[in-house]
Amino acid sequence: MTEPTRPAAETAVETGDDWRAAWDDMVAAVGTDFSDGKTAYGPDTIERGTLRRYLEPLEFDCPLHYDAEVARAFGYPDVIVPYTAALSWSIPAMWSPGDPPLFDDHRRDAQPARSPINDQGERPGPRTTGFFATDIELDFVRPLVLGERVGRRGNRLMSCTPKETAVGRGAFLTWESELVDKHGEVVARMRTGTYAYVPRPAERTAPAGAQEVR
Amino acid sequence: MNTTVDVLRAAQRYFEDVEVGESIPSVAFPITVYRLVMEAGANRDFNSIHHNSDYARSTGAPDMYANTLFLLGMWERALREWIGCAGTIRALRGFRMRRFNTVGDTTRVVGKVVATRRDGSTGVVVLEVHSENSTGITVGPGQVEVTLPLRSA
Repeated sequence: MTEPTRPAAETAVETGDDWRAAWDDMVAAVGTDFSDGKTAYGPDTIERGTLRRYLEPLEFDCPLHYDAEVARAFGYPDVIVPYTAALSWSIPAMWSPGDPPLFDDHRRDAQPARSPINDQGERPGPRTTGFFATDIELDFVRPLVLGERVGRRGNRLMSCTPKETAVGRGAFLTWESELVDKHGEVVARMRTGTYAYVPRPAERTAPAGAQEVR
Repeated sequence: MNTTVDVLRAAQRYFEDVEVGESIPSVAFPITVYRLVMEAGANRDFNSIHHNSDYARSTGAPDMYANTLFLLGMWERALREWIGCAGTIRALRGFRMRRFNTVGDTTRVVGKVVATRRDGSTGVVVLEVHSENSTGITVGPGQVEVTLPLRSA
């Protein structure tokens, strides 16, 4: 894989120049909806098999999530999805027919060419390679049911706070969006915090508590 | 007669049964490489920080660690086991990931009731919930608002 050309802003972050200033455009963009205004639906309807596999590593044994008769007895039209799992079915596909290759580098730890999870969307500010979620708030209207498809509507930047932490230099970002059904009705409202950063050199790996960075 | 439904209804917790200050049973989640790989495949957060030690360390983390959907699922399972099939979850706040829930440790979900109120014919219960491992509190404490049926309804 060819190393992409790095914007000047990232160089500033890595070399210790005025790395905070590299985030000025992002700070100025607080309040902007970075979505294209359309609802981005997840690629799949919710199927029994994928729901079963979702429950498996959690050892989540609630019959509302696998027994339609029980779900109906408790007032639902069919088996329901765990509330917090709705996000999973809203994640875009990693690859679809017609897309360019995802895996174009044989190195052991090479990353896919694209990922809907990482901080790779179009936004102002420096390019970062480190990324993790820091916090989340969810308001649930109702659980999703088998056969439904969920989409994500809106991606509004609510805050941007540049900060140097134990893992690197970057910014805390807060985003707001809605999860909607096929009719556009809201099933959940979500506020997500992330930390996008340029990692410190490997020899300065963070201690176990390093995620406590805010 | 549906025996499963009858058993679930008999075991259902009601709003009137709840006291402020009471704890919910904690649930333990040993975090192994095997489980993290299963979880990534199940919830589709394939970020390498969640299943590749070398990669996770290159981003500043001490090792691979549980992803957000996994951690959210831990809370929901612990809550669902307490609210039963007639309960619902309305809101989750303060789900703040303070420390990495790293591989080779056990993450445990802990919760207690901090407030109760009636909302029409529904009982509303607010719980303070957190996750912890050998390093201390890793997620939260946050507040989760759930509903329980009323015996009197």
